[in-house]
Amino acid sequence: MADNTGASTSSVQTRSELYHIVSQVGEGTFGKVYKAQNTVTKLYVALKRIRMESEKEGFPVTAMREIKLLQSLRHENVVRLYEMMVSNGSVYMVFEYMDHDLTGILSQTQFNFTDAHLKSLSHQMLAGLAYLHHKGVIHRDIKGSNILINNRGELKLGDFGLARFYQKRRRTDYTNRVITLWYRPPELLFGATIYGPEVDMWSAGCIMLELFTKKPVFQGNDEIHQLDTIYRVIGTPTADRWTDVANLPWYELVKPREEIPNHFREMFRKWMSPAALDLAERLLCYDPAARATAAQAMEAPYFTQEEPPAMAPVGLATLHGEWHELETKRERAKKRRRNETAIQ
Amino acid sequence: MATDFWASSHYKRWIVDRATLRQARADDLLYIDDPEHLDFLAIYFADRKLGKKLGLPQRAIATATVFFRRFYLKNSYCETDPFIAIAACCYVAAKAEECPVHIKNVVQDARQIFGSQEHYNVKNFPSDNSKLAEMEFYLVDDLECDLIIFHPYRTLLALCKSGDVSDDPGDEEEAGEVGVGIASDDGPRYWGTGQGQLELPHNGLQSAWFIVNDTYRSELCLLYPPHLLAIAALYMTCVFHPATAARLASASASAPSGPGAPAADPPPRRSSRQAAERKQPAQDPLAFLAALNVSLPLVATVAQEIIAMYALWERYKEDAAGADPGGTPDSRGRTTAAS
Repeated sequence: MADNTGASTSSVQTRSELYHIVSQVGEGTFGKVYKAQNTVTKLYVALKRIRMESEKEGFPVTAMREIKLLQSLRHENVVRLYEMMVSNGSVYMVFEYMDHDLTGILSQTQFNFTDAHLKSLSHQMLAGLAYLHHKGVIHRDIKGSNILINNRGELKLGDFGLARFYQKRRRTDYTNRVITLWYRPPELLFGATIYGPEVDMWSAGCIMLELFTKKPVFQGNDEIHQLDTIYRVIGTPTADRWTDVANLPWYELVKPREEIPNHFREMFRKWMSPAALDLAERLLCYDPAARATAAQAMEAPYFTQEEPPAMAPVGLATLHGEWHELETKRERAKKRRRNETAIQ
Repeated sequence: MATDFWASSHYKRWIVDRATLRQARADDLLYIDDPEHLDFLAIYFADRKLGKKLGLPQRAIATATVFFRRFYLKNSYCETDPFIAIAACCYVAAKAEECPVHIKNVVQDARQIFGSQEHYNVKNFPSDNSKLAEMEFYLVDDLECDLIIFHPYRTLLALCKSGDVSDDPGDEEEAGEVGVGIASDDGPRYWGTGQGQLELPHNGLQSAWFIVNDTYRSELCLLYPPHLLAIAALYMTCVFHPATAARLASASASAPSGPGAPAADPPPRRSSRQAAERKQPAQDPLAFLAALNVSLPLVATVAQEIIAMYALWERYKEDAAGADPGGTPDSRGRTTAAS
């Protein structure tokens, strides 16, 4: 059936040989991600295989959503889907290749990011989010390993496996089980199912802090502990900070047992400038309605007034190796194993 | 929706010419005597029964039909069973338009509808879900994963005041969740105030809407961009829809007297209403169409093609009435021309 009757496309056979897989670089929501080389152009791409075997309902609707979303997005801070490819009964998404992800690159010590670099990375992340939200898309999984960086110092948002279109004029119910715990905003931890692009902005605030501290800031073990971790930094939510908090579904279950004051500025002063602290505080605002939007955040004094001006970390080209969360994890596992054998 | 229509795969890869359509039917032509019967098949396979039975919104049914047409640009009716293709198109379109249905429901409903004596009499539709899943895979492959389809409905709603539309199309628009996400591209819609929209008499938009529905019976969705089909449907509504045509006639009759004319002798006791009328002069639908940034000769061509499609459809109905109603596909599911 899929023979060469198609006038416009090359045959399936030649297409699958077009890419030579180099290595695995990640684990997406729906399948493995590989680094591969185009055998003709020699350009590198990322191949994301869509898992089909376990699907009783055929082509996963979530994968279909991701494909449609990515096909409708085109921005310098959003990872580019070049094409789709079918090979040996598998469907692959062919992406532009990104050398690193944020988790990976923050774990290395060869290349030091200056304040100007970090400002550029923050700005690029916000520009990507502003574009998504303008297009009516919520990402719903902003975290270190989904923020991709290449050797030209460009940052792009990736993995749209949980993203979806939202209605700007009418708020509707969505699933609450989105966003990796450490980056999940308090309203979701309080059980909200009606939410909008503000959920991404909380995650963006977490990422901004992580850029400076080099590690995730709110590392909870479960939903309750996650909220405790947040309280310990920015204090507990009070009615004047967040009017609607008491109306959220799980408020009675997870509400703070004691009042904790906001320690945010004293904790982060040693890493961040006053304007950077101001912006992070506006992103990590308890009340989603009052939280800075991506477009507002891009206009913050941190970017428009405070020195130094943003500068893309183009020096990454000199960095050895490629840094992805997957490798970082493997490295850590290896070290652990070495330590264990040493102990024995 | 893709960044925009002009940047989309729909525009760049899936608008084809007549020669490509003919080429796609080359194998099928070997099995029939009268080439017109292939056009009959195009009508026959665009039946909306399965989509309706599955409760798909109109938009998803339209998407399924476009998928079907695209698939048979690369395949022939005689080699790939169109009935399982129709089922797979509905199944994929439902997912792509965010109104997914269960695979077993598609199989059940397809078996019931296609197996019915009076409509299709297809007895060999597979009962195994995995057959449909397999077909879905081939379909998505041949569609090259281009799942974003633009439809004329959006243009209709953008150009016309939808006040008098009956529930169906209006609900449609609100229900199409993906559509709403896309519509909000530019923040507030540029037509948000309704200023400058075409005002059609009662049921005028409905009439244009039905014409658009009918275009899916043909291969026009492969030949022309959706906004042209929408404008052609509006144009045809202006000509053929009684109420709209009457409005048009009166508008053009009053046109020569110019805007100054009504003000010339206002009956004093109705002056307030006159003033209101002067503020919003009666709209001339033809002037509205002429002001659109599209080629009017092209719109006229598309309208001609739609009319030709209706003529063909008439002949198809006569042909079907004359022939054995169950005679179209033979018992092996291979399709041959209605004799």
